[in-house]
Amino acid sequence: MPPYIRRSLICLSVDDPKLAEKAFESWADAIILDIVKSPIQDWQQVLKAKMPTAIAAAAHGGAEVFVRLNAGTAQAELEATVFTGLTGVVLVGVGDRTELVQANERLEVLERERGLAIGSVEIDLEITTAQGVWNSLEIARASPRVGTMTINERALYQHLEIPFETTLEVEPIEFIKGQIITVATSVESQAQGMSYPLCVSQNEVDEATLTKAVRRARDTGFKGVVCAHASWVKACNEGFRPSPAEVEYYREVREVFAEGLKRGLASVPLNGKMIDVPVDLRAEVYLEWADRVALRDQQKIQAHQL
Amino acid sequence: MTHRVARCTMFVTPTNPRFIDKAWTRGGDVYILDIEDSIPLAEKARCRSLIRESIQKANKGGASIYVRINKPFVDADLPCSVWPGVDRIMLPKTETAVEMQYAHALMSQLEKDHGVPVGHIELSPMIETALGVVNIHEILSATPRKIWSMGGGTGYDMAVNLGIEMFVDFDQYAYTSSYVALAAMSLGIEASGGVFIHNPTGRVDQRDHAIEEAEILHAAGVRQITALHPNFIEPLCTGLAPTADEMSWAQIVLETYQELTLAGESVTTVNGKVVDCYEYELALKTLEWGRACAEKDRFKDKALARSTALLAAAS
Repeated sequence: MPPYIRRSLICLSVDDPKLAEKAFESWADAIILDIVKSPIQDWQQVLKAKMPTAIAAAAHGGAEVFVRLNAGTAQAELEATVFTGLTGVVLVGVGDRTELVQANERLEVLERERGLAIGSVEIDLEITTAQGVWNSLEIARASPRVGTMTINERALYQHLEIPFETTLEVEPIEFIKGQIITVATSVESQAQGMSYPLCVSQNEVDEATLTKAVRRARDTGFKGVVCAHASWVKACNEGFRPSPAEVEYYREVREVFAEGLKRGLASVPLNGKMIDVPVDLRAEVYLEWADRVALRDQQKIQAHQL
Repeated sequence: MTHRVARCTMFVTPTNPRFIDKAWTRGGDVYILDIEDSIPLAEKARCRSLIRESIQKANKGGASIYVRINKPFVDADLPCSVWPGVDRIMLPKTETAVEMQYAHALMSQLEKDHGVPVGHIELSPMIETALGVVNIHEILSATPRKIWSMGGGTGYDMAVNLGIEMFVDFDQYAYTSSYVALAAMSLGIEASGGVFIHNPTGRVDQRDHAIEEAEILHAAGVRQITALHPNFIEPLCTGLAPTADEMSWAQIVLETYQELTLAGESVTTVNGKVVDCYEYELALKTLEWGRACAEKDRFKDKALARSTALLAAAS
């Protein structure tokens, strides 16, 4: 079960004059705000003034709101961006646990100062370097605030000097993706990402290609995607959830297994497949996941009707 | 050595006479007496009470016996499982070294109490969650108890934990299974399973699939795998043993390399193939494995004949 229903995330600038409109129309589960540091003014003061309005604007359509910060300069950026309504921060380029520990401590101070519940602001991780991959487990374990882990494929490819051409039959960083998914799951976090080659090319593609790519990402273990285009959102919202056919199948699984239990059997066949405790457990998880997705969609619909 | 030949390990339900009473006739190398997922909660106590007699039933055909216990019920399951005749306890969903240490300590006491040499029974962690994967090295290093072989990071429970649907056309467990295998091999433990075999139907009973699976595993050097249906036993036991051609080639390599070293040389070719120290070491392992498989098969044949004769005499 994904800890979060966060199937689609899109990045928008806090300075975008159409921020509210774009966020509202996107139907994304989450908006990630990109900050701009003004070179000619006190950027912290400028951001502090903008952030509360930007957060509210981004949340207008029922999305969760995050702000993307550079891990190396997070202390100053946290000061300027953490306000009521923010679900969490995305630390970009995090390379070791110290950065997490420091961000965690700073957040606790800010939460206290600004009347936010202690521990309420999530920290999400955007991995962009080999160091971040290598240290991913200790980074993920460094703070209980860690919510999601994302590989920024274009940044990591560039760091590893892998060409962006997506002509290879095998995904160059398949093993790294598996590592991040495993690490995220091990700390009860979740991994976000798209399948190869779309994760690198980030092209706008036809609906069928996108649907297939999302399905493969889900089958790999990802729970959502930072969408390169607003046009990806619909496919992600529909793809990172149990399909109607799966819901129907798993309802049947639960019924067949329950009947088996009544006969003293914990292993029963269904269309040639063996239905036992883990299959029933998965069915339970999938049906609960489907219910949570339906609830999340309902929340967004209500936000759009306000 | 025969207890290490576990080409096909198959789960058996002690509470179901249809399975447990016939297991010895099916030719499996190993039967896993299951107290875990194939046993409903309400049946677990009865299952525990049947383990000791099930050991005698299932090994009549010369198979080794493992017992899969329940992670939440270690205290209840182990006293019913640690008996003479059991080769391995399987600890499902192992996630920490502490879990291994606890089971090891309890097993040591039970071995004393039940007349089993202390440390004789293997304790095999089953890696079925992401937390188990990331902690694998410390899990495998947690106790002095010998583990001969180790696989994991795949399967239904792993799929549930990772939130993925199985039976797709690519390897979803490439990282997890490789990581577990690498940790095992770094500690001198043979890796088992872990090779991706496309099974879009999800069916576990088709003989054709078993033959294909055996070929792929054999090519990857894997010597053991778990099966869920008796149709898999014969194809896996046959398919995971060295072929006659492989044994002949290994013998040629052995003799050639021995002559080579006597002549003070280190590399040559036979029929265009390189023979060197690596090929020699591989040949030794192939011959050892082939002999062990043959020994296991003879052992099973004898046991089967003896049990069949006893049954005939009794009736």
